[in-house]
Amino acid sequence: MAENSFEEDKQLGTKFNKEDYKRIGAYLAPYKFSIMKIFAVIIFSNLVLVLGPFLTSIIIDDTIPNQDTTQLIWITILYTLAIFLNGAAVRYRLYNITELGQNVLRDMRSGLFNHLQRLSFSFYDTRPHGKILTRVVNYINTLSDLLSNGVINVLSDILSIVVTLAFMLSLNATLTLYSFILLPVLFVITLVIKNKQRVAYDELSVEQANLNAYIHESIAGIKTTQSYTREGMNYDIFSKFSDNQRKAWMRAVRIQFLLGPFVQNIATVTIAFIYFAGIRGLGVDVSTGILIAFVGYVNNFWNPIINLGNFYNSLVSGSVYLERVFELMDVEPSIKDSENAFEMPPVKGDVEFKDVTFGYKEGQTIFEELNFHVKPGETIALVGPTGAGKSTITNLISRFYDVQKGAILIDGIDIRNVTLDSLRNQVGVMLQDTFIFSGTILENIRYGKLDATREEIIEAAKIVRAEEFINDMKHDYRTVVQERGSTLSAGQRQLISFARTLLADPKVLILDEATSSIDTQTEILLQEGLDRLLEGRTAFIVAHRLSTIRNSDRIFYIGDKKILEAGSHEELIEKKGLYYQLYRTQSDLLQKV
Amino acid sequence: MASFRWVWQYIKPSKVNWFWASLWTVLVALLNIVTPYIGGMIVDEVIDNERGSLLVPLLIIMVAATVLRTVLRYVYQMMFETIGQDVLFQIREDLYVKLQEMDFVFFNTTRVGDIMARMTGDTDAIRHAVSWVYFNVLDNIVLFISAIAFLGGIQWRLMLAMLIVTPFIGILTVMLSSRANAAYYEIRESFARLNSMVEENIGGNKVVKAFANEDYETKKFNKRNEDYRERNLFSARISRTYLPVLETLAGLLSVISIGLGGFFAITGLMTVGELVAFNGLVWMLNAPMRNIGGYMNDSQRFITATYKIREMLSAQPLIPVELQRREKRIRGEVAFQNVSFAFADDPDNKVLENISLKAAPGQTIGILGETGSGKSTLVNLISRFFDPTEGKVLIDGEDIKNWNVRELRQNISIVMQDVFLFSDTIKKNISYGTPKATLENVQKMARVADASPFIEKMPEQYQTYLGERGSGLSGGQKQRLSLARGLMKDPSILILDDTTSAVDMETEVKIQEGMKNVSYQKTTFIIANRISSVKNADEIIILSKGKIIERGQHQELLQKQGAYYDIYNEQLGRSEVEEG
Repeated sequence: MAENSFEEDKQLGTKFNKEDYKRIGAYLAPYKFSIMKIFAVIIFSNLVLVLGPFLTSIIIDDTIPNQDTTQLIWITILYTLAIFLNGAAVRYRLYNITELGQNVLRDMRSGLFNHLQRLSFSFYDTRPHGKILTRVVNYINTLSDLLSNGVINVLSDILSIVVTLAFMLSLNATLTLYSFILLPVLFVITLVIKNKQRVAYDELSVEQANLNAYIHESIAGIKTTQSYTREGMNYDIFSKFSDNQRKAWMRAVRIQFLLGPFVQNIATVTIAFIYFAGIRGLGVDVSTGILIAFVGYVNNFWNPIINLGNFYNSLVSGSVYLERVFELMDVEPSIKDSENAFEMPPVKGDVEFKDVTFGYKEGQTIFEELNFHVKPGETIALVGPTGAGKSTITNLISRFYDVQKGAILIDGIDIRNVTLDSLRNQVGVMLQDTFIFSGTILENIRYGKLDATREEIIEAAKIVRAEEFINDMKHDYRTVVQERGSTLSAGQRQLISFARTLLADPKVLILDEATSSIDTQTEILLQEGLDRLLEGRTAFIVAHRLSTIRNSDRIFYIGDKKILEAGSHEELIEKKGLYYQLYRTQSDLLQKV
Repeated sequence: MASFRWVWQYIKPSKVNWFWASLWTVLVALLNIVTPYIGGMIVDEVIDNERGSLLVPLLIIMVAATVLRTVLRYVYQMMFETIGQDVLFQIREDLYVKLQEMDFVFFNTTRVGDIMARMTGDTDAIRHAVSWVYFNVLDNIVLFISAIAFLGGIQWRLMLAMLIVTPFIGILTVMLSSRANAAYYEIRESFARLNSMVEENIGGNKVVKAFANEDYETKKFNKRNEDYRERNLFSARISRTYLPVLETLAGLLSVISIGLGGFFAITGLMTVGELVAFNGLVWMLNAPMRNIGGYMNDSQRFITATYKIREMLSAQPLIPVELQRREKRIRGEVAFQNVSFAFADDPDNKVLENISLKAAPGQTIGILGETGSGKSTLVNLISRFFDPTEGKVLIDGEDIKNWNVRELRQNISIVMQDVFLFSDTIKKNISYGTPKATLENVQKMARVADASPFIEKMPEQYQTYLGERGSGLSGGQKQRLSLARGLMKDPSILILDDTTSAVDMETEVKIQEGMKNVSYQKTTFIIANRISSVKNADEIIILSKGKIIERGQHQELLQKQGAYYDIYNEQLGRSEVEEG
């Protein structure tokens, strides 16, 4: 059923995808102007950096031998000025790079969140929520750093290499060539390390995701764990995940940290070679000053190379996150507005199922050729064994899933032809899972109609008989409830959720086990309010309590992938079929004392 | 300082490695001097004094020193990484154990996102400090000190001129870090809000869609997202004030080196070689100054993280978990003596008031009552998820507080109203409390709970993976899995908290029949709204606003013609009329 549990996160291939980089480009594109400005500032900074060794070589070769104090003062002033300008450049760069990164981060996260809103139930049902969460918040943070700081630093490093190179060439071409003699070696080493590192980081991200998902579920399910005293075993499982993560981390850094030493050794060998070549000739004849400047440049030159290597490292590890984020963005919502979708006109409440065949999974149909027609204002009770598909019917009317064959028509319009928003705004469902958001009770009820006034909200609460317990709370409607309403009882959550649905004032109302956890006394009271409300609305009610069912206009008994019996309570009792049996069971049970 | 002392206890087990790694760090920092120093010697000795034979040996020393330095660096880096990972592992484990011990009140009032932040972001800040920041700071300190020593050795006047700049750097750094600290706190808080919001959105995705509130959610999200961006920019504004100044001061060192150094060389106070060496070592003064700001930030993050983690580790569960066991099977006698209960945050609002009841081993108690009347709280007291505010709960005649709480819970199965299923196979979910159970046993209990028909219809049957919280299953299916899970434990006390509310009557009857065989000799508490679920109980109690308003057996209660009678009539009465 689940795509993957916390135990496995699919590993990606070892190649990275060029398409991904194009997509990154798309995120940077809106800011190209500010990127260019940052660039200009970086070029300036680089020139200042190059200035150092250049001025040093002048001092060593000219100023000191000529004892030219005036020149020394001028050089000092020039250099000081450059340092101050560089300070200003750093100031500009610091803030603007952060801003750029934060903008890109915001855009990406917002895009991902928007996308998530469009995804269907089946997406959420098949993935641990912890993993979705990690992608939206954590992975994107890692990426933003890579995109803003990373990309700009890389470009600045490349620029500084180019500038340095230009200076070196202008000083001495042969020596410049010597400086690069070991570059191919570095290149090969980087390639080898990179490939291994990518694999290692991929493993690490898998282990990390597994560990986080497990921690997340451990916390969410702690009450169950404690009542089953499973603490010991969970601790062992957790330890295993934690240890796997530790091992994966060590494997990854063991490879990652290799690059630095290689680069440094190659740089030192190059410097040694420059000294040797400069002093022993080897086709070069340079002054001491230039030799010293060259040594400085080689450092200037290798530092960016080390940085490039580091960037490559983080790019390699970051690409793993990037792919997981893009993978999520690429999930196509299975339910979406069709191209020519139009607004659903105000609904009268005529609902028709025409030859509907549906199953959550290929080859496992819940319904085959299901047909029924409900007139506006009718109340339909859906009964039948658990798992027969009562909730499925209600899910289909709100178009949480699409039918495989046939069609569902509301007021004669195929629901696939209208926009989801306009459909769901007029079809109100109270789901089996009540979900309470953290916030006040008032806000939770208002969720059904965002512009509802306080009076409307209180009115809805009154109708569902939630008023009394809310008033008993510390701050009545302003009482803040925690995530998932953990401080409320199940019945209270149902009442709030009920009020929320009523507030939405839908023309087609679906109540899926809306009152299962509500006690009989409250339910009697609630029923009165509900009867008034049901007038003029089409309603589908899934319930087990026959007292609720009896009041409906028609009852559908569902089983064997179709409607086995349909009719009013009296008709079905007369028929002495399945409903009659169901009905007998309950009354017998109650009478048998 | 307390933070460092605290983290030291985690480093302690690896203190020998820690010591050696620190030593290598110092050594490597010192080896940094070799390359520029040799550079100076080459200029002075080889070029100026024309001692060409020295060139090759000097270059060999230079390369050898670099090889040694990089190898050693790699070694100590790996040592610190290992230690950091061990520390991380241990802290995370301590947190996990602590969480397993915490009580329901804690989880009712602490957001999952906050706990996640402790377990991931905060522990990582500590790891980063242990395996990265520490040695870098050490490295920088050694660099700085040795730079002063070497530069002073070459030309002390020039070195002193450079030191003028350092106090400014110190002052600026302190100012930066104190302001940055507050900004970081804000960022973290903002991030936590963002995180919680997304988490709720994912968890409540069905409700969001049912009300077509996607736009509203997006707006809410955009606000948080924008806030997070703003906080980050605010922090960048602080950096913008200080860091460029630090950078400029560091750059001025090079100016002093060239300008004043050049002057000294002209006036003969220094050789050109010395100037070259000096110049080559300036970065050793420079780099620590440039880096100090970043490490200050890391240290602040480390300190904040340790506070948060220590706070969580030192939290005391209201229900202490003791380790000593008594290995006694509970018979199942449960007694409440004048029990009252109120949550600590709302002490005036009594959830339960003056409850007394007694259940002999094997008896069944039925509990009815309005929504929010305290039914679930009452049974939670039996498993000791809360302690009564007044009065006593006795199990087998002994105060519940004298029992080892885990042992107690091992003997009690509570099938909760909120069904939580884990993303694992159906078999593992059913055998959650009894991991060693055989498939036969699991199947047997699934049959009793009438879960087997739908499980066996699934292609992978008991090996089917469930989604998070069992999403994809209907309410009735989840309840039946949860019931099977509760029965697997074979407890002395069985608590069914509205376990069959989403199950139809026929199924409930089947389940009741099946349960007769397995719940024999178990003390059973049944919370329900249906009369049919409780009518065979040895005692039925009716709660209203935390008080028992009626009690007795089915027949007695009917004769009383009170609340129970009304409920009974409502559930049955009208159908009788129509049937006739």
